[in-house]
Amino acid sequence: MKALSPAGELVELMTINVGPSHPATHGALRAHCALDGETIIAAACEMGYLHRGFEKMIEQGTYQMVLPYTDRLNYCSAMMNNIAFCKAVERMFGVTVPERCVRVRVVLLELSRIIDHLVCVCANLVDLGALTNFWYFFNVREEVYKIWEKLCGARLTNTVTRIGGMYRDVYPAFADDVLAVLPLVESAVAEVRGLVEKNRIFIDRTKDIGVVTADQAIAWGWTGPCLRASGVDRDLRKDEPYYGYDEYTFDTVIGQTGDTYDRIMVRMIEMLESASICRQALAKLKPGPINTSDARLSLPSRSQVYHDMEALINSFKLIYEGVRPPAGECYDALEAANGELGFLIVSDGGTNPYRIKVRPPCFTQWAAFGPMMQGAMLSDVAAALGSINIIAGELDR
Amino acid sequence: MSAHAVPAADPSAAHREPIKAGLDAAALEKILVEQFSAKRDTRDRWNLTLIVARDRLRDAVRHLRDDAALRFNQLLDVAGIDYLAYPGHRGARYAVTYLFKSTVFRHRLALKVELDEDDAVVATLSDLFPIADWAERETWDQIGIVFSGHPNLKRLLNHHEFVGHPLRKDYPCQKRQKLSVNDPMIDQLEGVLLAQGWQVLDRGATGNGIPPGAPGTSLAGPGSESQPAPTGSNTGAPR
Repeated sequence: MKALSPAGELVELMTINVGPSHPATHGALRAHCALDGETIIAAACEMGYLHRGFEKMIEQGTYQMVLPYTDRLNYCSAMMNNIAFCKAVERMFGVTVPERCVRVRVVLLELSRIIDHLVCVCANLVDLGALTNFWYFFNVREEVYKIWEKLCGARLTNTVTRIGGMYRDVYPAFADDVLAVLPLVESAVAEVRGLVEKNRIFIDRTKDIGVVTADQAIAWGWTGPCLRASGVDRDLRKDEPYYGYDEYTFDTVIGQTGDTYDRIMVRMIEMLESASICRQALAKLKPGPINTSDARLSLPSRSQVYHDMEALINSFKLIYEGVRPPAGECYDALEAANGELGFLIVSDGGTNPYRIKVRPPCFTQWAAFGPMMQGAMLSDVAAALGSINIIAGELDR
Repeated sequence: MSAHAVPAADPSAAHREPIKAGLDAAALEKILVEQFSAKRDTRDRWNLTLIVARDRLRDAVRHLRDDAALRFNQLLDVAGIDYLAYPGHRGARYAVTYLFKSTVFRHRLALKVELDEDDAVVATLSDLFPIADWAERETWDQIGIVFSGHPNLKRLLNHHEFVGHPLRKDYPCQKRQKLSVNDPMIDQLEGVLLAQGWQVLDRGATGNGIPPGAPGTSLAGPGSESQPAPTGSNTGAPR
């Protein structure tokens, strides 16, 4: 396109689509860029390629039927979505899950955070041409997926929680398996840091690329590691502790300039903190019930169902009708791997959700991507896009 | 604060202090009730949702954002709700809930605006919070709330040929709508260039032969008037 620059110069701008099917988008995203040479003058971003009407679909079934759908939001850390949704519904009921369930959920949350960060960082490094790191991280991720398989039989889409507890208690060797994986995570992080941290090519391609200042990040509603990389020390686990996060000793990881380098490094080091939380939570894991005893949520035991009329009716009601949160509106969020994952639930007292609005954490990051890329080089798009970790499943819903 | 600071980190910025205790729900409610005639949402089971009249919304949001004791500097989400099928509901058909959070104080707040079916228009917040631009586009797309003054009220999740608003309760959930021609997005790109002081003379091949600023392709959204100007397919206005 022919255009006059602000200085009055006649420039032939080249328009080019990055995506929707570009290897670096890791999903289907589109950034329409106007280039002067290799410099991006303007970028307009589009989303919706993976839109499948999540919020409409989940209005059609019961609250329990929402759970498998939540797996498909951020499919890199499916359990986090399960837990976030259950936590929101439990808040509507005013139910607290038993201590054992809380500890197990914390371990699953932190392990999910680790594998989410593993995927984000290694995919970002692949976009930069550093393929070796991909295998270092994917090997470890595979070990975590083996735990997931033992835990619930599924790898990617786990549906491991239930409203009021878990699908079932963890298997006996769960703690040992997790404790065996954590050193692998730590050594993989050390290896990859050794490979990239002082690597000239890596530094040149990530330092001062895609800079988002603290004020910009706040104004765009950023949360999670991307906000922390911009130097804003905010983490829901610290600021509004839930699930006993205030009992664990861990540090938030913050960056300095908010560039691609910081975003990668914040995620890298957060994995070490998550590993430490996992160990602390496992040390506090004690035997006990995994599901709440609240009859509005939890199925009675088989022996009760066979010998007690009320328990039989309750079992039927819960399975054939579903749980009924009290009428009202409620928002609840937790610190997911990508930032604040929230659910605004509107209940009319019935068995189907009246309306659920998901707050996907990467929505804010993708919305800011166009302005973020103005003035950058075309090759920086791949580097910066990987570092803000856009997961099309939760972005487009 | 952090034992594992990122390499070469320099602990300086103001955002690194621990979060401060915020105002409790009663204090927040008092401020908004007294200054902006808000009222408490009876459906709220969360912490604090306040209903404000739509002509007070922007003043309330500006106050919440800028007041030194409040500093609600993050707009987390904009959620549209259609109460058409809500049992026993008598009030306005639509509501828009804005979720706010502060990075300075430990407090949260939701503001709700109720909108009648025949006048589902509310002023945009996109000049106060940049993220409101996309969040409002999604709400327009999904529920059909019009945000007056929005610079580019275009569909976000659904394609530009989509008709209707899927999260309305009278939209059939099995309905399918196919896309025939992809959105060239040249209007959005042109808008970004214009905002930076560029002037587009000729769109070239990407413009599908449409001259710059031609009707039906410009960036002109609903403008500052209360009703949207239906400016053709690219703006996603009702047809």
